[in-house]
Amino acid sequence: MRQVAAGEIGGLETLYDRYHAMAYALALRITTETGLAEDVVQDSFLGLWRNAGRYAEAKGSVRGWLLAIVRHRAIDAMRRQRAGVALGDESEEILPAALTLPDIWPEVVGRLDAEQVRRALTVLPPAQREVIELAYFDGLTQREISDRTRAPLGTVKSRMRLGLVAMREQLVGQNDGSFGIALPSSNGKKGLA
Amino acid sequence: MAMTCDRVREFASGFVLGALDIDEMIAVSDHLDTCSEEHPEIGDLGGVVPYLAETLEPLEPPAWLRESVMAAAQADLAARRHISVEPVAIPTAARSSQAALTWQGPSPVSQGEVIPFAARASRRRRAMTWATRVAAAVAVVVLAGYAVVLQGDLSKSKHDQDTYASLIYAAAQPDTRLAALASRDGSKASGLVALLPTGHIIVNVTNLVPTQGDEAYVVWLTGDNGVQSKVGSFTVSDSGDGYLEVDNVPTSASLYLWVCKEPNSAVSASSGPTIVGGTISL
Repeated sequence: MRQVAAGEIGGLETLYDRYHAMAYALALRITTETGLAEDVVQDSFLGLWRNAGRYAEAKGSVRGWLLAIVRHRAIDAMRRQRAGVALGDESEEILPAALTLPDIWPEVVGRLDAEQVRRALTVLPPAQREVIELAYFDGLTQREISDRTRAPLGTVKSRMRLGLVAMREQLVGQNDGSFGIALPSSNGKKGLA
Repeated sequence: MAMTCDRVREFASGFVLGALDIDEMIAVSDHLDTCSEEHPEIGDLGGVVPYLAETLEPLEPPAWLRESVMAAAQADLAARRHISVEPVAIPTAARSSQAALTWQGPSPVSQGEVIPFAARASRRRRAMTWATRVAAAVAVVVLAGYAVVLQGDLSKSKHDQDTYASLIYAAAQPDTRLAALASRDGSKASGLVALLPTGHIIVNVTNLVPTQGDEAYVVWLTGDNGVQSKVGSFTVSDSGDGYLEVDNVPTSASLYLWVCKEPNSAVSASSGPTIVGGTISL
């Protein structure tokens, strides 16, 4: 990442070779259209290239940062395609904050293989899994999910929270009674700076 | 919206997934920026989010995408270096193109006017200052490398240098938005677009199939509101290069630009195959 921040194309090539398949899979899952997904991937790597100087290693992994950019841009592209759905400038200001959420347990999850990570989501109760997927892959708000699933808003919020907590427990494999994880403390306030 | 620590805890899952309404997102974000208490629930739940993508099987994109990304990064790098570079001695190859040295940047044009290449070249031969000559010379040095990246062919140097000088000049302006145009039909066509904050847009596409008869390549834009706008059109000779420079295009935070090959330039809606496309983001 330092190479990319220094304007070295070789650094970008390394990151592309390492993450392009995951980035494309995510972009295609969200957009469901190959042309648009290719656009999103290109746009995301260029975004990473241009903003590498703003990347703070302490706040998360490069992979997490890149995938957050891909997701943001893919959802942005989908919303733009839907006639009559305007993107406010607000979304440009708010979503980047989420890009810097700390990737707090790379060492813990790093020992898991992709199949174990997949299993953590698939073992969730269908209702919890559905709200998380609608939010993450379709970019819907809790209110929109409530409308689509015809579940009360409070139920959607509850399912989302329980689902994330359960997935975390699946990934880490222990429960400390609060959010289920005995991990190094992570301060959301500072992490979002 | 008044936000308390308890409400932040309640909203945490929606916040980390970006699934709150916009006013709620702002309120939570503002609270986290100012609250003296720690909110570990944000990091605790947010840590899950990056791994949701891991539930997908990796997929290989087309091989050309890598080349397209690197070419766009090279162009961006060239533009950045042009902004910061000090005046240097002009290499022989760059000196040979006096037409490019007389360029002064985009001139005012009427709304929707499409400027033919000859007219652009004519405007660029106007009187100029020494400072502009030096700046243009530096741009030529930069675009020579840029041309190598995009085309690997400097034989069409005069036309290319003039074209790339327009792009490089535009890229050097404050708040100009650049985007790469990638092939949408599996061809080798690719391009670059520069959108100035004034609404002046420059579109350059290479490796196009030459137009015949009334055929034209038409450039379209879709803004945040989903409305399509026709930017303009151009024809392509055997060189395979297409160029369009237009003023006062509608702009928004994010735009999708694409180029279609149409039976004629008078079409009012895109109907032909999409050749290249790309997103112009802030």
